[in-house]
Parts: sequence; C-alpha cells; structure tokens
Amino acid sequence: MEPTPNSHATLVDLLDRVLDKGLVIQADIIISLAGVPLIGVNLRAALAGMETMLEYGVMKDWDERTRSWENEQRKKKVEPICTTQIAR
Amino acid sequence: MGLEMQHGGKTHATLATEAIAEEEGRYVYCVADAGEKMSLGKIGIAGHEVHTIPHKDICAVVHDCLAQPYQSDDQEVIKTWAMTHQKVVETAWERWGTVLPLSFDTIIRGEAEKSAEQNVKDWLGQKYQELKRRIDKVSGKTEYGVQIFWNPKAIAQNLAQTSPKIKSLEEEIKTKPKGLAYMYRQRLENLVKHEMESKADEYVTIFYNRIRKQVDDIRVEKAKKAENDLQMILNLTCLVYKDKYIELGEALDRINQMEGFSVRFTGPWPPYGFV
Repeated sequence: MEPTPNSHATLVDLLDRVLDKGLVIQADIIISLAGVPLIGVNLRAALAGMETMLEYGVMKDWDERTRSWENEQRKKKVEPICTTQIAR
Repeated sequence: MGLEMQHGGKTHATLATEAIAEEEGRYVYCVADAGEKMSLGKIGIAGHEVHTIPHKDICAVVHDCLAQPYQSDDQEVIKTWAMTHQKVVETAWERWGTVLPLSFDTIIRGEAEKSAEQNVKDWLGQKYQELKRRIDKVSGKTEYGVQIFWNPKAIAQNLAQTSPKIKSLEEEIKTKPKGLAYMYRQRLENLVKHEMESKADEYVTIFYNRIRKQVDDIRVEKAKKAENDLQMILNLTCLVYKDKYIELGEALDRINQMEGFSVRFTGPWPPYGFV
C-alpha cells in the first residue's frame, strides 16, 4: 500500500496537523489569541471527532479506552504484546 | 486577495512605516536543522517574504509581520493560510532535511527594548538544547497518517453468522409469539451492539500492535467522523524511519484486504505530531 501524498484529498489531514499540532511555544513573547480562538472555529466543528458519530450507539467508550490504554502502555514502556492472527 | 486586510486591518505598507519594535512580529513556520541566514522568497502567508533567523546550527523560518494574530471567520481564508503554512514548512523540509514544524499562527513579538528578530534569536538560544534534542528525535524519519475504518453493517452481518450468542438468541426469537419477539429483538440489538464494541476493542489492539512494530513512534489520535457509512476505529500518527514506510504499507495492505475493513494511508508529512 502506497501512502497518498499531501494533496487535496488530504486537505483535512493537513488542516488537522497545521491547526492542531506542531510545536507550541510557551513564552510571553508569543502573541496569543484570548479565549476561544476565532481561527477555525467552524473548521474545528467540521473536523469533529467521535462524539458526532455515536448515533449507532456503538463503540461509545472504546476510543477513550484505546487512548488511555496506549498511555498506560507508554508509561510501562513494555514491548507490545504479541499479535494474534485474525481469521478472515 | 484581501488577505492583508485580515491581518489586524493593516497592510504591508503601513507595516514599514510603523516599525516600532513592540508592534512588529515574526511569524514562525518551523525550526530547521541548519545555521544558514537566507531568504526563501515570497512564499509566505499573503505573499510575505520568508527568511531564516539562525542561531548556531539551527534556524527559525519566519516572515516579518505585525504583532497580531492572523484570524478570520472565513474558512476559505483559513484554509489558504494553513496550506501556505504547510507549503513553507515543506520547502524548508526539502531543503534542510529535518524541521520542527510549529503550530499555525505562532508569532513572536518585539518588545520596547528588543526587536522581534532578537526575541526569536534569544528564544532559539534559550531553547537550543531542547530544540536540538527534538531535532535528533525526528531526524531521518517521516510522519505518516494511518486511519482504519470498518463498515459497521458488514461487521454486524458477519457477527450474526459467527457469534454463538447472537445465533442462539436469533433462534430463540423464531420460537416466540409476535408480542414477545419484539422484546427479544431489542435484546438482540443490545447484544449486537455489545459484541461489536468488544470486536472493535479486539481489532484495535491487534492492528495497533502490528503497526507499532513497523514504526519508530506512534500516537493514537481521536477517531474522526467518516463518510460512506464507514466508521473510523483507529486513527494513528506514525513516525517512520525513511524507508520503513514500505513495510508499514505491507502491514496495512493485510488490514485493507480484510473484509469490511479499509485503510487510509497518508504522507509523507513533516513531523507535526512528534515535536
């Protein structure tokens, strides 16, 4: 499988990175936006996460669970558990 | 394009005449692994000239601006800015190999007794060790996005055929009179829901562990809303050694070929998630 290069097909991925990730400088020489930034308010809504897709009622907490599980793994610094083969 | 007007309503022309230290700023795109002082041309947001501010063997990639954040209610304007931000980071990335991308709209301002340029230099100086450590961490590696989806309908159908609990409940329903069957249907729905949740957990763990083996570092991101009746069950950002993406692609192929599952693989990205 070849990765899709950064293009229009990946605009959401791009915005996700540029607006929500990247190095954040914590210093008083940084201009900051007070309170909720005007920037991308709607955009963030458009990029909304899991909450909006719970109509099915399926998988309510697994996302949170997965992430906290990963955090635990990270703390323990253990090698990943052996994988099992999935029957197709 | 009118983008200049978004920047606090001031234009580039007024910036030149109001060169008071406190009102000027440097929009920082990234920190690059090079001690060069140079111009990258007018490739910045709103056509600003992008240049570098070096300190020792690293530099900040910036453009000169007012000490005011870029903000807008217009999504298209923000998209254009964000894409330009990414373009500049990518240009620096191609040129110098290793960059630490900054988050959009990071502006270092000047102070009464110190220019914005000097503040950027001082910041590089104060944070030098930490920045170098982060540069070392991502050096020779690239970020990739991996999103795994499943088709809930296909998975539910599959479960109906394979889960003994669901099967036996379905059999039981057939023997019930109509009134009771309704109640049993509800019970069945809950059971399917529950079984799907544990399936999701199970697959997510398996996929995560498989992918983890192919990458240098990994982050689990919040799952996003998906289209075409699909659900995203795993959203990962992976830091991968230069050529290892081929092995990662092969591992993803195996997941992509499973019935009811699909994988989105994007990149290469500058390491936004690992700085």
